[in-house]
Amino acid sequence: MSAIRMPRIRTGVVQPRPIELTGAGRIAFLILTSVLMLVPMYLLVVSAFKSQEDILTHPFSLSPDLLTTEHLQSAWTNPDFNILKGYAVTALFVVLVNVLSVVLAGPVSYVIARRTERRYRALLLLFVAGTFIPSQVLVIPVVYTLKFLGLMGTIPGFVLFETTLTLPFSIFLYAGYIMTIPASLDEAAAVDGAGKHRILWSIVFPLMKPAVVTMVILNTFSVWNDFVNPQIILGPGSGLYTVTTGVYAAVSQYSTDYTVVFPTLLLAVAPLLVVFVLLQRHVISGLTAGATKG
Amino acid sequence: MSTPAAAVRLRDRLTTASMVGPALLLFVVMLVVPVGLSIYLSLTDWNGYSANPAIVGLQNYVDLARSEEALRAGWVTLLIAAVGTVLLSVLGLGFALLVNGASRLNAFFRVVLFYPHVLSALVVGFLWSAVLGTSGVVNGWLTSKGAEVLPFLSNPTWALASLIGVLVWAGFGVNVVLYLAGLQTVSRDLLEAARIDGASPRQAFLNVTLPALAPVVTVNLVLSLVTLLKTYDLVVSLTGGGPAGSTQTAAYLILWDSFHNNALGFGSAQSVVLMIVTAGLALTVARLRSRADQGAQA
Repeated sequence: MSAIRMPRIRTGVVQPRPIELTGAGRIAFLILTSVLMLVPMYLLVVSAFKSQEDILTHPFSLSPDLLTTEHLQSAWTNPDFNILKGYAVTALFVVLVNVLSVVLAGPVSYVIARRTERRYRALLLLFVAGTFIPSQVLVIPVVYTLKFLGLMGTIPGFVLFETTLTLPFSIFLYAGYIMTIPASLDEAAAVDGAGKHRILWSIVFPLMKPAVVTMVILNTFSVWNDFVNPQIILGPGSGLYTVTTGVYAAVSQYSTDYTVVFPTLLLAVAPLLVVFVLLQRHVISGLTAGATKG
Repeated sequence: MSTPAAAVRLRDRLTTASMVGPALLLFVVMLVVPVGLSIYLSLTDWNGYSANPAIVGLQNYVDLARSEEALRAGWVTLLIAAVGTVLLSVLGLGFALLVNGASRLNAFFRVVLFYPHVLSALVVGFLWSAVLGTSGVVNGWLTSKGAEVLPFLSNPTWALASLIGVLVWAGFGVNVVLYLAGLQTVSRDLLEAARIDGASPRQAFLNVTLPALAPVVTVNLVLSLVTLLKTYDLVVSLTGGGPAGSTQTAAYLILWDSFHNNALGFGSAQSVVLMIVTAGLALTVARLRSRADQGAQA
């Protein structure tokens, strides 16, 4: 699927470009588009500080006498959805999935990259074929697999399934990356008496950092933003809300009470937006690489 | 050290197994077995809890071909995928050309075009439904100015257009970045040669840049298609499948039938069809494109 390598936008390097449109018209058009792109975010932020009436009659106004933190405070202390707990639960899932994903995908990718036998090519194909299965549809039979294993509605069940979804692209990316690391390094370490596991984790793994960073970014965003899997596997019965399932519980019943909707949504997106603003370049290239997995 | 060769080989095998085993086991239990289970369930009349589901053969697939609701969801999904893919690819390439430069302003524009992709589709849907809903921000503002309310989400056609519009708003930043990466690979020597030979920028674009971008176009088409065929979260939060089921996508109806209607066999049949269509369309687009590329080179 991924015919191209990880996209990289070199922002810092000045060099002649193959094609570059210039002129005031271009800038004006881009500014107009940027406004269109940002208006919803602007409305989200300012409406979180306004009353229902002011949201509807003065949606764009920034007049200080309209603004209040009252609704943001009540969203923060919403009895239906404890946002702080939502952050903590989701962050826990993000960490668990990331750790488990690299611990499982690392070794198998290493074997696939270093062995030339046919069956390891076939193994790679099997994993990569997994990217074709839409997770929203896969979760239905997985419910019954998890029930059979006694893991339905549990954190291990959810984390294991979510980790499985990361495996196909992780293995594809890691195996491709390890192939670019000279095998002579492994041989030198083997001569010094290091076993395969030792070689992987102390010699190869440190050199895989760019690929691992890409996957961590991708997994972090996809686990944080996932809705259907936590909603179905953890369910309202478990009492465990991630940020998205909590938002759904808090917002869907009051979808026209904008003093609930906007503050809740703002609190939900704030952490990832901060991460994005701080690490724009990494996030953009990581998420775009992930998008190509199809 | 005089370990017999057989013992060395055995240890080597055990090491390999310990590296491959855990990931493969999880993959089989959580992905291969469930896909098989889907195929099996699609041949039964299971409702999700009865102890003895009966095998009904291909009956669910026959029902599917006759179900107006399922067929409509299928067409809606294909429409979203087709229109969305065209828009994402055209806007992706267009804006990539516009922001393809190393200036700080271009870097800023790239971030602005990309940022909605960072937000969860669920949040994006709730946000836009608050903006576009009948009693939402835009209509509230229009009413306060004495204008008519616009049926962004309450008229079937408008709702589908709004859904596609929001999908494009949230997603085309990725396409921009992919095309930008592609533009960096266009040979500068060829463009320079074209310029010296007196080609206009337009001719240079059509005859040098576009052919060089062919692989990136393929990636964009396949990626957009596969992603849009799975559209689910945004439907839940933006339209709830409405009005009157007009924006129900295949994934939405599958989950609805499986868990709310207790028609798990029927839902599984739809899942199997969706998986086959997704894989089939993606492979077809990739193959057509590669044939077109070969044609262009010949």
